[in-house]
Amino acid sequence: MSATSLYVDRGTWIHRLDARSTLAFVLAIFVSGYIFDDPRFAAVPLVVAFVSLLAVGGWPNFKRLSPIVAALFVVGLIVWPLFTGPGGPTVIDVGPLVLSERELLFALGRSERIAVFIVGGLLFVTTTSNEEIVSGMRQIGIPFAFCFAVGTALRLFPTFIDAAGTVKQAQEARGLDLSDGNLIERLRSFVPLLVPVFMTAFRNVNTQSMALEARGFDTRRDRTFYGASSMGGVDWVVTVASLVVIVGVVGLRLAGYGTL
Amino acid sequence: MREILTMWRDTRMIMLVAVVAAVYAAVLIPFQTFQIIPGITSIRPANVFPVIFGIMFGPAAAWGSAIGNLIGDIFGGTFGPGSVGGFVGNFTFGLVGYKLWGNLTPLSSRVEPDFRENAGVQLGEYAIIAVAASAACAVIIAWVVDLLGLVPFAVLGPTILINNSIAAVVLGPPLLYLTYPRLKEMGLLYPDLLRAEDLSSAGSNLNPIAAWGLVVVPLVWLGVGFFLSTGAGAGLTSVTALGAVGIVVLAACTVIVGERLSTIVGRA
Repeated sequence: MSATSLYVDRGTWIHRLDARSTLAFVLAIFVSGYIFDDPRFAAVPLVVAFVSLLAVGGWPNFKRLSPIVAALFVVGLIVWPLFTGPGGPTVIDVGPLVLSERELLFALGRSERIAVFIVGGLLFVTTTSNEEIVSGMRQIGIPFAFCFAVGTALRLFPTFIDAAGTVKQAQEARGLDLSDGNLIERLRSFVPLLVPVFMTAFRNVNTQSMALEARGFDTRRDRTFYGASSMGGVDWVVTVASLVVIVGVVGLRLAGYGTL
Repeated sequence: MREILTMWRDTRMIMLVAVVAAVYAAVLIPFQTFQIIPGITSIRPANVFPVIFGIMFGPAAAWGSAIGNLIGDIFGGTFGPGSVGGFVGNFTFGLVGYKLWGNLTPLSSRVEPDFRENAGVQLGEYAIIAVAASAACAVIIAWVVDLLGLVPFAVLGPTILINNSIAAVVLGPPLLYLTYPRLKEMGLLYPDLLRAEDLSSAGSNLNPIAAWGLVVVPLVWLGVGFFLSTGAGAGLTSVTALGAVGIVVLAACTVIVGERLSTIVGRA
């Protein structure tokens, strides 16, 4: 795992899946997390996503993001009771804080949903490289020009992060202080940092475009990908199983399960 | 509006999309100033980019901002269903500046956005555009996130509006002052790249009304949505319906408003 990528290069079965199958798998987790309000039901996709993430070597990624997950979880617990009606017996009654069972379960369910979405998304980016994401986008029918732009941006992005770091060090060596002053002063201090970063980036647009056209770049013709994969047996099994899960959880919800 | 799609035929516009996306993501992730809620929301200097890039690079900035935000989600670890809202919201964030510069009659400066001529009027025009673009981005993201049941509209909408507006209003004028002439000299402004027949005309009688609609609709959506969202119970349904109406009206205004910068720089 590098500073600019969450992809973990392993040989697990999820890593070996075609990007489209991984997306279907993660989509099933997202839909399962979204469909249920009851935290007991929402906990199932959360556990599946978390165990899968650990199995593919995603613990370092989760650890890195755990403050965000924890903060969002707590904010969900605090905020959602304010936006839902009370119901059932009072379970917390401490000073001004009075929470009914429904409010508490509703807030817990929403916080779990946030966690499902983050852990599910993390599972996808932990097991799918940038190249696989771009090639997968093309394979599901997204126009080549758009895929090319995403692929190029993903390739340029680490370079620009490095450039931003270098410019920051250089400007700080000249006395730039990004952490002092009020909000407006601190924002203004970013001007000497941002100008070199984006002028460096845009300086090469014309030459890069000419280089592409000199090599016959044409967005309207069909293109091939060096690392394009095809759907194998396991990919189809995972995709079909994911669709079955999606249909199943929607059916459960329509039958009245997982509601509050 | 067809330039949103026809721009994908031009190699330099495609490269601009990629570079805008990469720069936006590269500055979005590591640089934050004030943490409002630790780990959740902070004021980020990168939020100025969609507005100023939108004014200079037009549709390429809209696509680039959307992709840049998506990359930010992927590398920041927040990729998920909410990223759809982030994509559409940031696309609009970049599109509003492109559509509005020069169109806000009678407050428009009708000059190039370099803050060298008529600077006071330009500042006013830019501030309105920055707030309108931030509001459009805020309501779309907050609406989608509310639909997904992650964070209530009333919490996220105002937060995003404030975050985006502060960075865009404070940093935009000095950045445009310093970079616009250089980028114009490089021939990277959208009027230099897009074919004249692809540019949307600003000649319609409805143009000024729709332009002000782009300013007013997101702010009204935000205000009404805030009160509906805080009214517990029926709030969720009302916020959903309001968002559906809001996005249709916003899209209609965007289609009607033609760009004006090409006329200002004398390319049309």
